[in-house]
Amino acid sequence: MIGEIQFDGVLIPALLAVAVEAFLVLFVLRTILRRLHFYRFVWHAGLFDTALYVVILWLAVLVRMPFHSFGVGP
Amino acid sequence: MQLSSKTIAFVLANTMAVLMALYIAFASDLERPYWAMFTVFIVANPLTGAVRSKTVFRLIGTVTGAAMALLLIPPLVDAPVLLSLAISLWVGLCLYMSLQDRRPHSYAFMLAGYTAAIVGFSAVNTPNAIFDTAVARVEEISVGLVCAVVAHSVIFPQNVLKGLTERIDRALRRCGTWITDALAATQSSDLQGQQQLSKLVSDLQILYEHVSFETSDVPRNASVVWALQDRLALILPRVSSVQAALAALSAMGPLTGSTLQAIEAVSQWARATPGAHGALPSHAESEALAALARLSAQSEDGAEWSSLLKRTVATQLGELLTDLSDAVCLADALKNPFATSTPGPRLEPPSRRSLSGDRGLALLSAFAATAGTLMACALWIQGSWPEGAVAAQFAAIGCSLFATLDNPPKVLFVGIVGVLLALPVAALYEFAIFPRIDGFASLALVLTPVLLLFSWMQASERLAIMGFLLAISFAGGLALQESYRPDFAAFINTNTAEIAGLAIAAVVSLIFTTIDPVWNAARISRAGWNEVARLADRPNRDIRQWTLRMFDRLGLVLQRLLAAKRSDLVGPRIDGLRDLRVGINLATLRRSSGALPTAARQSMNPVLNAVADAYLGLAHGKPLVGAGSERAIDQGLAVLRAQAPTRTVEDIVTALVGLRLDLTPFGSRYTPPPLNS
Repeated sequence: MIGEIQFDGVLIPALLAVAVEAFLVLFVLRTILRRLHFYRFVWHAGLFDTALYVVILWLAVLVRMPFHSFGVGP
Repeated sequence: MQLSSKTIAFVLANTMAVLMALYIAFASDLERPYWAMFTVFIVANPLTGAVRSKTVFRLIGTVTGAAMALLLIPPLVDAPVLLSLAISLWVGLCLYMSLQDRRPHSYAFMLAGYTAAIVGFSAVNTPNAIFDTAVARVEEISVGLVCAVVAHSVIFPQNVLKGLTERIDRALRRCGTWITDALAATQSSDLQGQQQLSKLVSDLQILYEHVSFETSDVPRNASVVWALQDRLALILPRVSSVQAALAALSAMGPLTGSTLQAIEAVSQWARATPGAHGALPSHAESEALAALARLSAQSEDGAEWSSLLKRTVATQLGELLTDLSDAVCLADALKNPFATSTPGPRLEPPSRRSLSGDRGLALLSAFAATAGTLMACALWIQGSWPEGAVAAQFAAIGCSLFATLDNPPKVLFVGIVGVLLALPVAALYEFAIFPRIDGFASLALVLTPVLLLFSWMQASERLAIMGFLLAISFAGGLALQESYRPDFAAFINTNTAEIAGLAIAAVVSLIFTTIDPVWNAARISRAGWNEVARLADRPNRDIRQWTLRMFDRLGLVLQRLLAAKRSDLVGPRIDGLRDLRVGINLATLRRSSGALPTAARQSMNPVLNAVADAYLGLAHGKPLVGAGSERAIDQGLAVLRAQAPTRTVEDIVTALVGLRLDLTPFGSRYTPPPLNS
């Protein structure tokens, strides 16, 4: 995940872009879970959401990663 | 002040957030890490929802303000006067926009204003680096914001709803007392309590906006809150109209059997209801309803004044009963959102609602902010003062940040004292402690005591503003940067400029925005009278929204009069409850007369016109009570007597009786014309 995205001449770190995407995913997911009254079963919603965000971010980074960095590519 | 577990959680979370923000800012080589530090203090609030909403709005405001600075600086950097003018006007404009509304999002507008000043003024010496400066500010602030949000959401969050439900409970219990007092004809008007109820209703509106930013486990049910707001706003006017009708009735002679019975039954119910959580005392309620039915049945056909009054008492008490029991149900629904067993009252479809901002005062504050910033800029340019930029920044901040408060100069003077108090502490750190330490771990260790102290001050209600100011000026005075560069001259210069900026803000707001509270109360009341007149004039106005606004005004007026210790002024002119009663009756009149035959409907128009005229007259300094409205109302009552006594006609009669009680001199009686004429 090293690299930068160019946006209208401004360089933005790629991780920032992914972090924003992950936040949007979290936002949608949270709304769905709330509609399902899922949070009645969660002890500490703040902590749960933070952890959920970290997981989503990790997944997002994983998806973006070029294959060779797993050590399986050519 | 006490060290409750809530306070401890807040203090720890805040201190951790500050240290985290500092660490990240240092680790990523940001230009001014102390910005991240004081951002944490700015958004800190014991309520998690408030922290999270303020974070979002601060981010939006900062980005907008930085973008504005980016737009203004390059073309205007060689024309200092124009630049000062442009930025000052921008600060004023943003402040005006932000004061239009008291909801949390208005913060974003205000911030957009003074962030432009902060970024713009600090970049004038290095205009080439304006883009970097703007980006650095946004980065530092974002780091602070993210740290604050994470810390406050993870470490024992406190939600907004909890405090609100406690206040609602207290208010409902007080409503019960008011009803029993009014029925016992004790003429005590609990102005303090009225003001608190009004504040609660407005706070339900303002604070509930935070709930959509709360952690996910906090249920969002805005429609319940809105319905509750509507009910709570109606209770006081209804109580007072019962009081007025009863007073008129007892002026005609001692109260008789069925009236006394109804009063007794309803008082019993009012004593029992607000305390009963969830389980409403249904037998008391049915008894009260039966007594009211008897009262109105007994005075069914009479057209003389006393029967009309009795019917009004019965109708109003019935409505009061419904409203209060609905409010109790809704308050329970808010507390236990998952207990759907109790059949709640019908929820109206949500409507757009906002509390009125004060246009005139907003304009004045905006003007003051522009003037203050310009004044600091003039000193800066004329005096070739190197730290003038800091003064201009602080003048903009000072004028904006405290514009919503009643007495900005006082808080600004407290702010100056705060800076002066924080100075020695900052100096101690800067020149005695920092030379001896090295590395982040020891920095964190030496900072922790003060951070804990400031956070604790912010958590307590009385010291919150002082703690906030101390924290900000401490962070600013310390100006923590990458490497330790002790510079006593710069330290003194910057802090003097800060104080000068705040002093300019204080002087400007002392001149422009210090307003006699009594005069302001009269002004707010006058706006309310015009609203009543408009309600009578124009059809199809949303009465719920209108009631909320008027109830909010009532609170604002009372707050000012109580603060000035002039509660004696509440009387024949300034009486928010009377205005509310008149408005509610007008709305009933308008709504129900649609169902009347055309001729009868048209005979209601003189009443509406008379009320509108009376209120316009009141706004222009004439007394409210006049012969014109009395004649119109009496004619209306006479016309209605010829109609078949349906439910609608009854409603209109009650509304007319209510209007007559408020718009004619006390003791004036309606005498029905003989039927055959």
